[in-house]
Amino acid sequence: MSGIAQKKIEQIAQMWNERGNGLITHMALEIEEVSTQGVQVRMPFNPEFCVDREQTLLHGGILTALLDSVFGLANFVAIEGVSTMATLDLRVDYLRPARSRADVIVRAHCFRKTRHIAFDSGSIWFDGHENAEIARGVASFALTRGDSSLFDALEKGDPS
Amino acid sequence: MINLQAVNANVSRVPFFRFLNFEVQSVDSCHAETEMTFVERHIGNPVMDYYHGGIIASLMEATAAIAVHPDFADVPAKPINLTVDYLRPGVKGSLYARANVTRKGKRMASVSVTTWQTDREKTVAEGLYHFLLV
Repeated sequence: MSGIAQKKIEQIAQMWNERGNGLITHMALEIEEVSTQGVQVRMPFNPEFCVDREQTLLHGGILTALLDSVFGLANFVAIEGVSTMATLDLRVDYLRPARSRADVIVRAHCFRKTRHIAFDSGSIWFDGHENAEIARGVASFALTRGDSSLFDALEKGDPS
Repeated sequence: MINLQAVNANVSRVPFFRFLNFEVQSVDSCHAETEMTFVERHIGNPVMDYYHGGIIASLMEATAAIAVHPDFADVPAKPINLTVDYLRPGVKGSLYARANVTRKGKRMASVSVTTWQTDREKTVAEGLYHFLLV
């Protein structure tokens, strides 16, 4: 990987981790791996996201939210000059009950990008159980490109 | 006749439903309507204060599950899959959802859900959810 790409990736990770509020912060997501081939993110177990009183079964909605968030990250990494991005549609299959107190791992990648649209797919499993996927999703995103890229804003003031 | 208070009491016992911060406004054998009050943790776009798409999908899933099985005692109806079409950004303020059970068989249910804010005609997102009843 080139040095420039690595720098961009580090900045995107920093930007993502420093969001002051909102759901992504609440999910306490940790970026584990980022490249133009895809991203891997960890979500620590959080009893607030469960549906049962024993707090061991995650609600499907949080898995859907996780996929949507990580697709966004995958798009920023894979596509140059994205100014804004909106989810057009999203499909999620819940492959097995999400019953565990383990951390949740998500892998996602942008498998096709055009001027206006990005197509993403991703999978979710519990840490240590990669061969027992709990959910899989695909989504498409409407992109706007322009000078006011989030990434460019970060770059400003950086002489290199 | 389904007791709305009893349904809301069950809702308040589900940790993730408390996280979503919604209330069931009406429910019958094939419909449910909910209202979610905006809180900071719902934000997806911190620049514009828009709802996170995943929070909108979560409210839709919760509303659909209640329409399928309003008198759930412990865990809500089991979801199989979903598709969501996002039509407009969800802005700061209440978000309303209405779920309509299109078909409920012995093993499966199909539910369509729509969401809006101040104007019912201006759909924020709509979706189709399947549930396993066995």
